[in-house]
Order: sequence, then C-alpha cells, then structure tokens
Amino acid sequence: MHLNGPVFAFWAAGLTAHILLLLVLLLRHRAGTFPVFTTLIAANVVNSIALYEIALHGSKHTYFVAYFAFAILDLVLQLSVTYELATHVFCPTGTWARDVRTGFLILVIASVAIALGLACFPSPPEKTVLGMLLDRGNLFSSALQCELLVGMIAFSSTAGLPWNTHVARIAQGLGFYSLIGLLTEAGHNILARNTVAFQTLTYLRMSIYLLCASYWIVMLWLPAPAPQELPEEAQRQLFTLQRRVEYDLRRLRALKRP
Amino acid sequence: MTIRNLEFFGFLFVFLISILGIGAYYYLQNRRRELYPYGKWDELLKRLAPLDHHNLERIALDPAAATYHEIQSIETMSPQEIWQLLGGMRGIEVMEKNCSVLVDLVFYVQQWYPEALLVAEQLRLNAREVEWHIGRLKAMAKSGHPPVAATEYLQQAVAIYYQMTREVLSLYEQANLPGLADLQRAL
Repeated sequence: MHLNGPVFAFWAAGLTAHILLLLVLLLRHRAGTFPVFTTLIAANVVNSIALYEIALHGSKHTYFVAYFAFAILDLVLQLSVTYELATHVFCPTGTWARDVRTGFLILVIASVAIALGLACFPSPPEKTVLGMLLDRGNLFSSALQCELLVGMIAFSSTAGLPWNTHVARIAQGLGFYSLIGLLTEAGHNILARNTVAFQTLTYLRMSIYLLCASYWIVMLWLPAPAPQELPEEAQRQLFTLQRRVEYDLRRLRALKRP
Repeated sequence: MTIRNLEFFGFLFVFLISILGIGAYYYLQNRRRELYPYGKWDELLKRLAPLDHHNLERIALDPAAATYHEIQSIETMSPQEIWQLLGGMRGIEVMEKNCSVLVDLVFYVQQWYPEALLVAEQLRLNAREVEWHIGRLKAMAKSGHPPVAATEYLQQAVAIYYQMTREVLSLYEQANLPGLADLQRAL
C-alpha cells in the first residue's frame, strides 16, 4: 500500500505532535497526574509507527484489521481519559462527591444509549463490514465524548466544583475535537469511501486533531496558575472547626462503647 | 440522499443544538460565577420575597435586644394570631427561603468588608436553627396536628429570622454600603 503526499504529511505531522506531547507530559511531570492521557498519547505514537509499517509492507486487509484494532484501543483510552478527567473534577480527594455519583452514572448510561442510536441511524452506501463498523464506531465515539464532556461541565457547574486548569485544557481540546469529529463522521457515514468529499472530511478531522495536539503541547508545557489561597481568618476558622469536629467525634465514639 | 439519512441529519442537528445549548448555558453560568462570585446586588434583592416587617416585629417583640430565654417566654399572642400575622404556611416558606438570601447578602458584603465573614457564619447557624424549627413545625402538620399547635417553634423561628434581618441591616450600616436604603425597603 502506498501513502500519497497529503496522507504522508498528516502522518508525519501527527507523529511529531504526539512525540512532542509525550515529551512535554514526561518532562513537565504531568504523566503522574494524567497517567491515562499519557498512555493514550503513547499508544498513538505506537499506532502511527505500526500502521505506517503495515501500510508499507502489509496488505490492505491487514492494514484495515490493524487500523480497526487500534481504533478500538483509541476509543477505550479516550473514554478512560474522560473518566480520568471526571475523577480530577469530582473526586479530587479520592472520594466521589455524593450528590454527583448517581447523576454521573445516569449520564453515562443515557449518553451511551443516545450515541448508539445516533451511530445506528445513517444508511451508508455500499461498504465493507469493517469499513461500516469503523465509520459507525467513530461516530459513536465522537457523540459519546461530546455528551460526557458537556455532562461533566453541567455537573461541575451545578455542584460548584472547580476545574483544575490542566484538566480544563485537556477537556477543551478533547471536546472540540469530538465536536468536529461528530460532523466529519456524520459525513463519512453517508459518503462512499475513496471519494474526494470523503477524503476532504478525513483531512479536516486530521487538521483539527493536529490543532488540538498543538494546543495541549503549549498548555501542558505552561504551569497551572496557583490556586487562590484562603484568607488567614478563614484558615483559622477551618482549623478550629476541624479540632471541634475531631473532639466531638471522639466523644461520639466513646458513647458507642459499652 | 435517502430519507433515512435525512432523518439522521435532523436527529444530528437536534443533538448538536442540544449539546451546544447545554454547554453554552453552563459555560455562561460558570463565567458569571467567576465575574460575580458573590452574586449581583439586584438579583440578591429580587430573591428576597416580601414579608410584613411590622407583623414580624410584633411576633418577635423586637428581639434585637432579647436573649434566647426572653424569646422563649413570649406568650402574649394567641397561636391563631401569630399564624395569621405571618401569613400561614406561605409566610413560613418565604421566611425559610429568605434566610439563605440573608446569608448571601452578608457574603456579598465580604468582598469589601472582610470582617463580615464572622457575621456570615453566625447567620448561617441562625438559618439552620430557623430551618430546624420550621422542620419541626412541618413534621407536626404532617402528623395531623394543626400547625397553629406548634406556636413555640413558629415564634422562635420568627424571632431568630427577625434578629437575622437586624444583623444584616446593622452590618450594611456599619460598613456604610450604598445598598442600605434598598435593603431597608426590602426587609
């Protein structure tokens, strides 16, 4: 299989962006905070190299099978990144905010149902089973990401939970890419492969992804702004309150003993 | 394009509009919270539902200077009279909602007057006390007793609420804030 000029250019740009982003995550010590996101980027580097090798030396069918396998891995990792972002927002101390947990579960179930409904809707022209699955899977993944990210914004806003800056930047990039992905995948689902329109949509999606990757590189390189500190008076009050709670708790525990 | 694909685009359009609409709504809400972390003055005032100040004063017998024990000993009015002066269950619900607005009004002052933090904490505790009394009152009403039978809870809730309004006014006066006249009218 031969890679034409624009595809090769996008492949090279994508690989460079992923390597740069991976370096930023490792050098600026963001990998510890976002291990799943780092894994996603590392998997993308492996994906680019492996698919390139298969494209050059393998058959077209092998390429599609490998592409499909990597697409599933990508979908799982992207959803895991969304979960990682949700844990940063909703359980920064290790315990999920009680008023959000049930709502979040309902959001996930409803989002999967709507995304599935949307992905099953289009009636594509004659395509291979693998090609059709890929297009529908991409549409499902984009719709699901959009829903989950908007749902997270809504929940965090209602519960008054702040978005840590780097979490917000990753979510913004992912959200924007998913939104554009939704439109391009909608087009992919109704167009025949190997047409100019189909290719144009693919290039558009790739360009947007490169933009998002560049945005992540810059934003994750920059330090997160320091959080606002509590006034001294409030800190003293909190300290006193904590002592009082500890004291009351000890008294309550003592009451329980026979 | 097939009819099914046309339907798909219709569904996609509705989906996109909903996603963008929800996202924009919450984004603007967050932005507004960043710009006005303590709320907007006009909106805070609008949230204050009207209650007859003179009736409240009569029920509480000017408790601004009264201690807890003195409030408890007020027994000059009949339960029916108190119930009527407050405006029945509607009055109680308004009072409950206004309590949280009073706390927000003190938080609002805090941006220029940091000492208000202590008043805010006190008012928050008072608001919880009012909620507790109203909760008991509602529980009695649920269990079949006429609400007027729970005069003690009602009277204490009104006395605490009245004192809260005085605290807020006195804070605004002390801090010499421009909204004092509006607040006096609203309370």
